[in-house]
Amino acid sequence: MLEKSSITKDQIFSTEDPFFSPFVIQMGPQHPSTHGVLKLNLVLEGERIVDCEPIIGFLHRGLEKLAENLTYTQVLPLTDRLDYISAMNNNTGYALVVERILGIEPPPRGKYLRTMVCELARIASHLLWLATHALDIGAMTVFLYCFRERERILDFFEDICGARLTVSYPKIGGVRLDVEERTLEEIYNFIPVMERRIEEYEGLLSDNRIWLDRTVGVGVISANEALAYGLTGPSLRGSGVPYDVRKHFPYDAYGEVDFEVPVGTRGDTYDRYWCRLQEMRQSLKIIKQCIERLPEGPVCAELSPDLDMPSFKRAFRAEAWGESSFIAFLNESVELIPKGELYSAVEGAKGELGFYLVSDGSGRPYRLHIRTPSFVHISAIPKLAKGHFLADLITIIGTLDIVMGECDR
Amino acid sequence: MRRKLYYILFKDLLGGLLITLKTLFKKPVTVQYPRESVKIYPSFRGRHALVRDPETGLSKCVACLKCVQVCPSRCIKVTYEEDVNGARKLLNYELEALRCIYCGYCEEVCPVGAIVLTEWFEYSDTNRESFLFDRERLLLNWDEFVKKYTNNVYTNKFWDLRGVPEVNKPALKRLGIQVNLQVLKDRG
Repeated sequence: MLEKSSITKDQIFSTEDPFFSPFVIQMGPQHPSTHGVLKLNLVLEGERIVDCEPIIGFLHRGLEKLAENLTYTQVLPLTDRLDYISAMNNNTGYALVVERILGIEPPPRGKYLRTMVCELARIASHLLWLATHALDIGAMTVFLYCFRERERILDFFEDICGARLTVSYPKIGGVRLDVEERTLEEIYNFIPVMERRIEEYEGLLSDNRIWLDRTVGVGVISANEALAYGLTGPSLRGSGVPYDVRKHFPYDAYGEVDFEVPVGTRGDTYDRYWCRLQEMRQSLKIIKQCIERLPEGPVCAELSPDLDMPSFKRAFRAEAWGESSFIAFLNESVELIPKGELYSAVEGAKGELGFYLVSDGSGRPYRLHIRTPSFVHISAIPKLAKGHFLADLITIIGTLDIVMGECDR
Repeated sequence: MRRKLYYILFKDLLGGLLITLKTLFKKPVTVQYPRESVKIYPSFRGRHALVRDPETGLSKCVACLKCVQVCPSRCIKVTYEEDVNGARKLLNYELEALRCIYCGYCEEVCPVGAIVLTEWFEYSDTNRESFLFDRERLLLNWDEFVKKYTNNVYTNKFWDLRGVPEVNKPALKRLGIQVNLQVLKDRG
């Protein structure tokens, strides 16, 4: 009774239909529920979506090109602006790829702190996702409740590093600052509170008949199709594929903490919702373990590059100071870091966030390609949306958890 | 069967309504911003300031240009002159706050703790010129910040860099930097 039959494209119209006349509308880029500046060219037949074409690029800032003109340490604050909801994950992803190419390893305390803040950011991201997704579907209360808890997490970030969203807290070779005992205690006390709150959200949504009507059977994608479309993260796990970078290619302290990867079965919007809620619980579990096992010691490696890399004394010429010489000394053919190329990925809040770095030995990246989950997920919208009502398109955009800052970068 | 019964009895909706009803009797979490102020944590990265040295009354900047070099948005411009011994004298310190991305690299890299991002966050204005901070304006920002600051000693998390190995810190920062505000406050 709670199941809603999924309607295929063939059921709603056949090309032989003499009365079929497509109706084309453009949704976005200034639409409140496209979660940013996403534009969708829709072909409708009545209320049903026949075809859908996502148009992206409205938030393009040339971040990858910009990275080529900055030193390795200067690129790090830029990565905050990718997925600005979980900036900690982006910073960690970028720091990891540079660490691996430099061949340095953060000390254990740095690793654990990074894992902890990454998981906090993941919860904050999932909370914002749940809030907006529920608001799109029509559940206003969840929106307000989620932002209440997200505010707490942002306060923790402010306490740890002085910024709420654009944190730049993890750095190449560890983290920038140690966390105070007081903050750790507050975060530890927040865990049981958050567990109760997740139960509240579930109480509001999980059994709610309106929520079930709007989510069950909407945007179904099978495991094979999801893999073919390149979905990662909770969007893939909702279809039943237990792929998680944290489990399969452990980085930082993920290899040492105990957690599970929740997977769905049907691959519809409800399963992806369920997966993300369970993931928040697992994240809390990881944070708890991180705080309990937090080792003593320094937070960043001694070999980690200085902020003013390349070496200040070598390159600086006082008499020729100016913008042009700033660029000139970076071009000097001195090998600062090993040459080579490397792809390394982290599990961002949205999915696999990969950084592909090409180093030519100078102080700045020769090429930095960022594999962002949102960009890949948007390509799956036409597949998910075909045959559904226009109102369900909002659900489908929401369920993929898209951030346009990350997609257009 | 049980689920069906719950469905007929509206248990799913009533359960949700019970949660919202409980919240009705809880303390509200909203901050009535202009009347109440939000809590700002120490070392929040807010408006820029040049620390006024309590002894000389001028900025502590030694024109080493490290902040100019690390700034990812290149919003800092420092002019200085050199005397015969090579000692530098700061002429002007310009900072374009509208370009700044508040990463805090400048205050982290500064060897003497001269530039700082203060915990002052209310500085909106209607013209762009007011965000082009020069040296005098930056020192004034510090005075304005100190007036509201309650403690007598100011220090910043990015000045002592807790947990970072000693070799990674600039030489003077290994000793720890603090500013005594009492002198400035006494002067008015």
